[in-house]
Amino acid sequence: MRVFFQLFIAGLSLGGIYALLSFSFSLIISTTKILNIAHGVIFVWGAGITAILWLHLRLHPLITFPILFLFFVGFSLLFFNGIVRVLIRKGEHYLLSGSILATFGLAFAMESSLGAGWANFIDPQPTFLLPVNLAPIELWGMAISSNRLMVLFFAGLMIMGFHLFLKKTFFGKGARAMAQNFGGFLIIGLNPYWVSMLIVVLATLATALSGILYILVVPIDAYGGLPITLKALTIIILAGVGSLPGILAAGGLLGLVEVIGSYFFGAIWAHVISFAILFLVLLFRPTGLFGKVTI
Amino acid sequence: MRRNRKVLLLIFGIVVLIAILPPFLSSSMLLVLFLSFLWLVLTANYDILGGFLGYIHLAQGAFFGIGAYTVTLLLSAPLIQAIEPFSLFIATLAAIIFSGLFAGMIAFPLFRLKGLYFAVATLVLVFLLGALVVNLSELTGGSYGAFVPRQYCQNTLTGYYLALFLAIISVGVNEHLSRSKLGLSFISIREDEEAAASIGLNVSRKKTIAYVLSSLPSAGAGIIFALNSGFIDHNIALGAERSLLPPLMALLGGTGHVLGPVLGVIIIRAVDVLFFHYIILPIPSMFLYGIVLMLVALFIPMGLLNSSWARWITDRLWRSHSIF
Repeated sequence: MRVFFQLFIAGLSLGGIYALLSFSFSLIISTTKILNIAHGVIFVWGAGITAILWLHLRLHPLITFPILFLFFVGFSLLFFNGIVRVLIRKGEHYLLSGSILATFGLAFAMESSLGAGWANFIDPQPTFLLPVNLAPIELWGMAISSNRLMVLFFAGLMIMGFHLFLKKTFFGKGARAMAQNFGGFLIIGLNPYWVSMLIVVLATLATALSGILYILVVPIDAYGGLPITLKALTIIILAGVGSLPGILAAGGLLGLVEVIGSYFFGAIWAHVISFAILFLVLLFRPTGLFGKVTI
Repeated sequence: MRRNRKVLLLIFGIVVLIAILPPFLSSSMLLVLFLSFLWLVLTANYDILGGFLGYIHLAQGAFFGIGAYTVTLLLSAPLIQAIEPFSLFIATLAAIIFSGLFAGMIAFPLFRLKGLYFAVATLVLVFLLGALVVNLSELTGGSYGAFVPRQYCQNTLTGYYLALFLAIISVGVNEHLSRSKLGLSFISIREDEEAAASIGLNVSRKKTIAYVLSSLPSAGAGIIFALNSGFIDHNIALGAERSLLPPLMALLGGTGHVLGPVLGVIIIRAVDVLFFHYIILPIPSMFLYGIVLMLVALFIPMGLLNSSWARWITDRLWRSHSIF
């Protein structure tokens, strides 16, 4: 029972990260119609650059986070103007295959440069893990990892923030309008350029942040980006693009299944479990388990 | 008619030239050409699905890996080794049949999906197979890889001719498709699936045929590769590169053209050889591939042979719109 409660917390915190990751993924898909395969690699870059700045250059966290912020804002502006807009201008019929191939190229370039750079300059066996160990909390006679609770808290905070942004603010409502009805969105005179740029910047920042949260609890290596993209895809295919409750449920479910599955079968099966789930869901319920809802 | 004969003669000449080339090549150059033929097989097979049928298929390497692993594991089995003079033949045949059956079985559920979902499902298929190979280490050798028993390994020269033969067959299949009824039905499915179904095409059967057709030579390429290198592991046989380079090369050359994959393979392999054998750069190869893939997808979306200046050149050369 005690073990199961700890597994539950572990699975839920992992699920919170997955939900944040997939929510930013689905925001990009629903506003720009770009399938960003490099999403998981951005996640790994968030983790890797934090590890470089924090652990190897030994910068203070108060300096590290502004640098990270500026870096990812710059990156997302480049990504938006250099890839997303070029692809959108090519037209609807080319958007899907073009975005898959272009962002695949980006993913390869990013992960190999991070992996090779890290292996050449810092450590030939690149794994990123932040050595933040908070004292575990005693609760009903059980030790609960504070790291995991912190991760769960921050992931929940970010998701709530996104939710409020989409429901309450002008640009958030604009993004929802853009996803639901692009023609109507144009008629009322909103500018798709600014709205989608804002969404891409915010989603990239959230992805990088979820990468930082991830290496608080689980180590990841430089080449772990594409499996992460596939997990995000699993979740949004399970949940349907843009449905926040669906993404929360599917993310939590995937986190729990992975944690419990790797407890019983060993950690090497964690990826296989989520790939198998994705494959089976694609084959039998291609429209998702929760139906199709837009934000 | 005269033009056709001229083109045929030209192609025949090129093939003969490639066939008499080996004595004049260094062993590393021979290996490079051998691997290029295998890439050409994969790329030409990808073009059946990506070019003719219009599905983005990111699992071409899966067949390569299945062929390679099946033949290696069968040749390691005592039962197959016992039927000595036929063991190589039986193992190869069984590997090809197994890949074809696998393709036929997986085609039906896969082709219920479209567009993005199809691409994602095929991508997941590759990752799933790779992860299974790593994790089922008692059967496949896991991340240490598997060895082909020494007595069955072939030398590079045999592999060169086999790969050349397979490449000619694959390009020939595409050439046949570009002017046959079957190919036309693939193209009609690409253009409008519902219209194709409404004129009486059995769409799902045609798609299964296309899938099996594209799987068999790829599996053959995997078998030849395994027998020549003598060693395979999950990264070599089922790595992401194996499945993603064929779409890149086909797109660079121009999908749906017979010569598109050939041109793409020549360019990418030339760049590859130039950068990794002669000009040593301190950057990883995947970085270059990534950048090239991105630039191709952004700026030459329809491939070199479909771009306007290629059309201009072919107009001048052949006074016709098709290059073949």
